[in-house]
Amino acid sequence: MLQDYLYGAQKLFVPGAHSELRAQCNLTRRVTLLQGNLVANQRSQIQGVSARVYDKGSYGFASLAELSAEAAGKAIQKAGDNARFLSGHSRAHKPALPPLAKGILPPQKDFLDVPQKRYIDFAKGLDDLIARKYPGLQSRAVVISFDSMEKELLTSDGYAAHSLQPRAYLYVFLNGETQDGMPIEIFKAFGGSGSFDRRFTSPEALSEELEMLYKRLLDKQQAVELKAGLKTCILTGELAGMLAHEAVGHTVEADLVFGGSVAGHCLNKAVASPLVSMTDFASRAFGAETPLPVYVDDEGVLAQDQPLIENGILTGYMVNRVLGRHYGMEPKGNARAFLFNDEPLIRMRNTAILPGKDHLQEMIASVEDGYYLMASNNGQADTTGEFMFGITLGYEIVKGKLGRALHDTTISGVAFEMLKTVDRVSDTMDWVSSGFCGKKQPMPVGMGGPALRCQLMVGGK
Amino acid sequence: MKNLQEKSALALQALIQNGATMATAKAGQTSLNELNAAQGEITLYRSTQDKQLSLSAVIKGKRGTLALNSLEEDAVLSSAADCALSALNSQEDEAWGLAPKAEADFDQGCFTPDMDKLLMRTVELMDTIREEYPKVVVEEMTTSHTAFESVYRNSNGACFTSKGGAYAVSLMISGHEGEKTSSFNAAALSLTDLERPFIEAGALRRVLRDAEKQIHTRRLQGKFTGSVVFTPDCLSDILRELISNYASDGVLIDGTSRWKDALHTRVADPRITLSVSPLDSRLTLGERYTSEGFVSEDYRLIDHGVLNSFMLSLYGANKTSKPRALNSASSLVMEAGDQPLKDLISGIERGLLVGRYSGGAANANGEFSGVAKNSFLIENGQVKEAVSEAMIQGNLALMLQNLRGLSLETECDGSNVLPYMAVDGITISGQ
Repeated sequence: MLQDYLYGAQKLFVPGAHSELRAQCNLTRRVTLLQGNLVANQRSQIQGVSARVYDKGSYGFASLAELSAEAAGKAIQKAGDNARFLSGHSRAHKPALPPLAKGILPPQKDFLDVPQKRYIDFAKGLDDLIARKYPGLQSRAVVISFDSMEKELLTSDGYAAHSLQPRAYLYVFLNGETQDGMPIEIFKAFGGSGSFDRRFTSPEALSEELEMLYKRLLDKQQAVELKAGLKTCILTGELAGMLAHEAVGHTVEADLVFGGSVAGHCLNKAVASPLVSMTDFASRAFGAETPLPVYVDDEGVLAQDQPLIENGILTGYMVNRVLGRHYGMEPKGNARAFLFNDEPLIRMRNTAILPGKDHLQEMIASVEDGYYLMASNNGQADTTGEFMFGITLGYEIVKGKLGRALHDTTISGVAFEMLKTVDRVSDTMDWVSSGFCGKKQPMPVGMGGPALRCQLMVGGK
Repeated sequence: MKNLQEKSALALQALIQNGATMATAKAGQTSLNELNAAQGEITLYRSTQDKQLSLSAVIKGKRGTLALNSLEEDAVLSSAADCALSALNSQEDEAWGLAPKAEADFDQGCFTPDMDKLLMRTVELMDTIREEYPKVVVEEMTTSHTAFESVYRNSNGACFTSKGGAYAVSLMISGHEGEKTSSFNAAALSLTDLERPFIEAGALRRVLRDAEKQIHTRRLQGKFTGSVVFTPDCLSDILRELISNYASDGVLIDGTSRWKDALHTRVADPRITLSVSPLDSRLTLGERYTSEGFVSEDYRLIDHGVLNSFMLSLYGANKTSKPRALNSASSLVMEAGDQPLKDLISGIERGLLVGRYSGGAANANGEFSGVAKNSFLIENGQVKEAVSEAMIQGNLALMLQNLRGLSLETECDGSNVLPYMAVDGITISGQ
């Protein structure tokens, strides 16, 4: 158990300084089949212990790739030395951080670490199924990816906690060609939190979803180019989640606010239509567990939901302890680290736009000339509030009906202007939690939302 | 180093004892010392020590890989067994292979950090930015030193020892005036010494200067076909996307690469010569050997417009019956052009000077569309004001054929050496 390695280490905490001690283990398992060839068959385990010490306004951090009480002691010592090195050169000292609630959370349930054979057999079974059912494909790829983060945290003045966050995903990529010989691709991610066997039973169980994916690929064979410019768009919940994460979420992470993001001038101002509300959820939302629940962050802060936009008004930032003090906001558990040797950064957890009252079919029917945008492959935010994401599946809307599929494109906008154009919000909710959010370190995150009607800049010919 | 010698040999022997007919084992350790700053203040000093054990095994044509960060004897032995088991459960493929026997010792860069001097250079950079670029806010800055040692072995008798270290600087900045802000931009450096102030290296001055000019922007209107000039750092991202789309293992194995039958044919303007050159003396800590055990050599990917090589691993080469690349690095060096940048721009009627590209991945055909960030309008041969919400759309392969020119000036950040590249025929659109 990770906690065994930290036993008794509290006595090494430096009096008068804030200290965190973390033992952590990250597992990854990955299998990639490309056109039936097993090109990647990987397992990795990265573990160790780290400490962070806050002294007079400076942080020192140290880590070792060992799990032992001795390593924990060395990490605390070195972290304290580093903090003192910096504070000794610092031009101004700062006082201690506001105190935190203390407590201990019970350990989380373990998960089953599936043997590599299971991943390989499943991927091969699924690949065989695809090759058999859809022989006309140009190419296909199946990727199975499992990762988990297990942490044991002790702090001098916050919560102690054990956390465990496994998740299993399966990605299917189908490639075809248009009649003019232009390559086209479609992909989908299946899965979520928990072990692989919790998420997936057999390849055949995915048949219906594969059939839908193949149909979308056939639609893309007749795809048309978008007309570049400002268009009325209906975004699915998956894309609304991407919007919440990229367009708004990053700009209201307090380190980016501190670095000059546009959200710094918008607190308590209208940044969206009154139909839009958005929250960064911790462990529960809408009566169920969030895709990637967080109970205590890596500073020992007990995690709570952080409302960000309420009826169109920007009401909060995501902070850590230092920036919480700076902005006069209570930290809600957003400080997390990816590997044992990473320091906690402000990260989103499960960021979502809240559902409304409209019905998706009526929303589509309301658009005379626009686009129904369904899936994305990546996105990026900016300090200006501009956002971008790549669109990999969409359809024309012509006189209120879905038309031809669209070629891949990119959409962009200025978040706090675009959100003011939202005039319909559906009563449904979709979550996604595959992939990683990028910053100085990667991090698994959840994002979600209802369908939205809005105005967007689209790329095209 | 002795411990790494012993553990890599132990791991290799254990893989072979577990049935591997082909095997690789690499044992390493790294030490990082890093200073983190935000808004003009150093807030974190981070020191990490890590170990690496990377194993691969091929048994009856089936391959598995495993990575761990422990070099304890019991961990090495159990990992070797796990790796072999993973291989046994895999799928037979005769394309897996290894390099033949070779031995070499590599010593690169500077192994021991001078933390006091690193702190001095870091504070100096923050002070310089504050004094010379007062409108720039440093959102995030890290300066660091990484030291490493490793021993690589393969079952054909290849053995390489490596030791080295380098400093790195990474900046994320934006320009601000009142409530107005520019797009964020980033700059990075890799260096083997601290002899010069950081501000004098790479593209730092250009990125800082441009950030101040990009606070106030003009919203682009309408749509036109024009020329785009990519800055060297933006060009490195574009080229990596292009190489991934046309010349890498995946797209050649699955047959979707537009260049799959184009080896030794013209794919670009004759003025383009692009090399993958980890041994270039201007670059820091370039790759010295591949994971299969080949000693790395520089090669030309595109030679005066002709596709000279793909970027294929040994597996990819065996799979596609095409030649293997001479390294597995990503160190890009492009030959400079013969026109100063200002002359290149003076010939452009209408277009953009693009400092950063933000877009979804290009499709299998190389069609891309994305936002031109940190960019300036070019009109009648002059660089005008910064633009916002401008999108660019084109095709990666066609872009290389529609070259307008390459600048005489190049920038080296320690990882790549690239000029400015101007191309025609790009769709540029705004509101």
